[in-house]
Amino acid sequence: MYKYDHIDQTLVDQRVIQFRDQVARRISGTLAEDEFKPLRLQNGLYLQRHAYMLRVAIPYGLLSAKQLRVLAGISEKYDRGYGHFTTRQNIQFNWVTLESTPEILAELAKVEMHAIQTSGNCIRNITSDAFAGVAEDEYVDTRPICELLRQWSTNHPEFAHLPRKFKFAINGAKEDRTVLLCHDVGVELKKNNSGELIANLYAGGGMGRTPILSSLIKQDLPWQFIPSYLTALLRVYNRFGRRDNIYKARIKILVKALGPEEFARQVEDEWGYIKNGDDNFTQHEWNRVAQHFTRPAYQSLPQLSDEQLIQCALEEDKKAYTRWLERNVKPHQVPGYSSVILSLKPHGTVAPGDATAAQMMAIADLADQYSFGELRVTHEQNLVLADVEQNQLFNLWRAAKRQFVALPNIGLLTDIIACPGGDFCSLANAKSLPIAKAVQEHFDNLDYLFDLGDISLNISGCINSCGHHHVGNIGVLGVDKDGEEWYQITLGGEQGSQAAIGKVIGPSFYAEQIPQVITSIVNTYVENRHEGESFIHSYRRIGLLPFKEAAYKNVTKKFQADIASTKESA
Amino acid sequence: MMSIENKTLLFPKGGVPNLVSNDWQIWSGENEQADMPTLTMNSTKVLLPFSMWLTYTDTQHLDSALMSDAKQGRVGVWFAPDDDILKHAQCIEAGKALWPVVAAHFPIFKDGRSFSTAALLRNRFNWQSQVRAIGDVLIDQLLQGARVGFDAFDLRSDQNLDIALRQFDLFSVATQNSWREKRTQLAA
Repeated sequence: MYKYDHIDQTLVDQRVIQFRDQVARRISGTLAEDEFKPLRLQNGLYLQRHAYMLRVAIPYGLLSAKQLRVLAGISEKYDRGYGHFTTRQNIQFNWVTLESTPEILAELAKVEMHAIQTSGNCIRNITSDAFAGVAEDEYVDTRPICELLRQWSTNHPEFAHLPRKFKFAINGAKEDRTVLLCHDVGVELKKNNSGELIANLYAGGGMGRTPILSSLIKQDLPWQFIPSYLTALLRVYNRFGRRDNIYKARIKILVKALGPEEFARQVEDEWGYIKNGDDNFTQHEWNRVAQHFTRPAYQSLPQLSDEQLIQCALEEDKKAYTRWLERNVKPHQVPGYSSVILSLKPHGTVAPGDATAAQMMAIADLADQYSFGELRVTHEQNLVLADVEQNQLFNLWRAAKRQFVALPNIGLLTDIIACPGGDFCSLANAKSLPIAKAVQEHFDNLDYLFDLGDISLNISGCINSCGHHHVGNIGVLGVDKDGEEWYQITLGGEQGSQAAIGKVIGPSFYAEQIPQVITSIVNTYVENRHEGESFIHSYRRIGLLPFKEAAYKNVTKKFQADIASTKESA
Repeated sequence: MMSIENKTLLFPKGGVPNLVSNDWQIWSGENEQADMPTLTMNSTKVLLPFSMWLTYTDTQHLDSALMSDAKQGRVGVWFAPDDDILKHAQCIEAGKALWPVVAAHFPIFKDGRSFSTAALLRNRFNWQSQVRAIGDVLIDQLLQGARVGFDAFDLRSDQNLDIALRQFDLFSVATQNSWREKRTQLAA
């Protein structure tokens, strides 16, 4: 894992001093709230429905056990004893005060952490594959480029006030676990025939109210040129992105308006003037950063088969343990090792992605004991121990069970991605957490969930789409109609290399109808599926209509009565 | 607190921040300033909107008084955020010999377009003389402005100059190149 040098450490320490002064000016009243707002946002501080929320960066999702303990400590000392892991691999504290924020940032700086650019109209925390460096299907370990770009983008002066937020994702594996095409810029790393590291760049993707998959605008860019090319790209966006309408200010709108070819041409033109300058990364810089991402001290171990693994378990645990191996344990590059996903989605959870301080402390211990003291955060809001010896999996499973993070629901219907929604967020139109909870409680039967197999259910409390509903196989979007909370359903979204934006099935539903609607949708799949066919494949084969009919059929009576009464009262 | 009236904060490249009295008048080009100012009469120096310069130096409407004032070093221009300076490269190249000062305008502090204008002036045009930030220029944008290419700032009148002067040495390191210095990593 990357270790700060004196430059990184000096920068975060001085950033704390700068923010401390800005907060003091805000409190004394010499800095107005309107003018303070972009400053606090660029340090991760939101004003939510009830309190300030601090979003702490976990760059490309990588975290040490020591850092997780500090996060746990912060949640106890300054918040209410829990943290919320987000879809952008960060962590949020929901109940901090403005006055305490500089102290929190100072504590974070001591363990090489910060909240820089986790919000605001700037280059945000960079996300990547949670399995970088260990995934069996990886072409290129993304972490050195992620770290180089973290440094390059931190406090970037020219791009401190972009038209709107700007999100990078970086992938280097065959499967895409980063939702690459839904980012403002997606960087796809691979090796060319000569073994040199190159990048394909995609631009103009995003969710929000105008979901668009990004377009390929640059192929085979040698890695050294990534910062100069991105400077050109961001300069075009900074100069010509719309600023008259917040909903049309993302780069996707500019790319769409110009067309990807014309946008790429403008970037290429700008890049022509700067590509031979010294913005580019040097080999020396690569070496300095990449030395931290060498392999840990793996043992020479035999690769164990599933049968051998299951034999390690006690007889009464075999069924449950087998399920966990099937869903939560992923293949590793090194024989005898696996990566393990700890589920932060227990059924009936308060919020998907939440972990209590006690859980964080215990999980930090597990990381120390089983995985070289490191963890990763997935964009699905779970945690990963990336380097677990296979012969320790059973012990880890038992320890994880005691912390309630061993539910074998990864990739299943209840592994719900959800934003904090109307319970916390002042932007939300509707609550998302009670919907997630209701669905988890309604489908609290592992046999049934396993039979259904891979289905993603993503819930956003408003069209800003923090819950990634557009790319859920089943998406739920909270909408506001005349002050009432309603929920729109989309189907057919997918993340990964087959990424797709879901389609709206029709009029919205009430919150209490959602478990029934999802049941109808799921039943339609079960009735129509071919042998071994997943939900999304059945959907693609039979189309939206059967799902739609089933969804409305069972709720129609109440629904129509409700619509009628709404019309009367309107 | 020092009075901000008619003060410009200068921060020359390689120099130290200091305050000087501002002898440039900014012509908005709107309403009562829609016509050309008469410079010779009152011996002021004026920053004109770049669009106005384009109009009055067009060969068909050449304002000879303006050119005469300009040749005496009494005229500069300011760029609005939506002025596409790359489309007027020739005019700007010619301006190097005419304008002692150019400025870029911030209609509101969080409009970052003028950061790219300053970066382009320095990098693309190799602009050597003063580039001034005008408009809604606040304390907390000074450091960013100074790094992209501004070396003079007309702060909004309510800003505290003592605090402003302290902004420039907040950071002793930087992790990307700027107009003033290369990233610290290259020196390491």
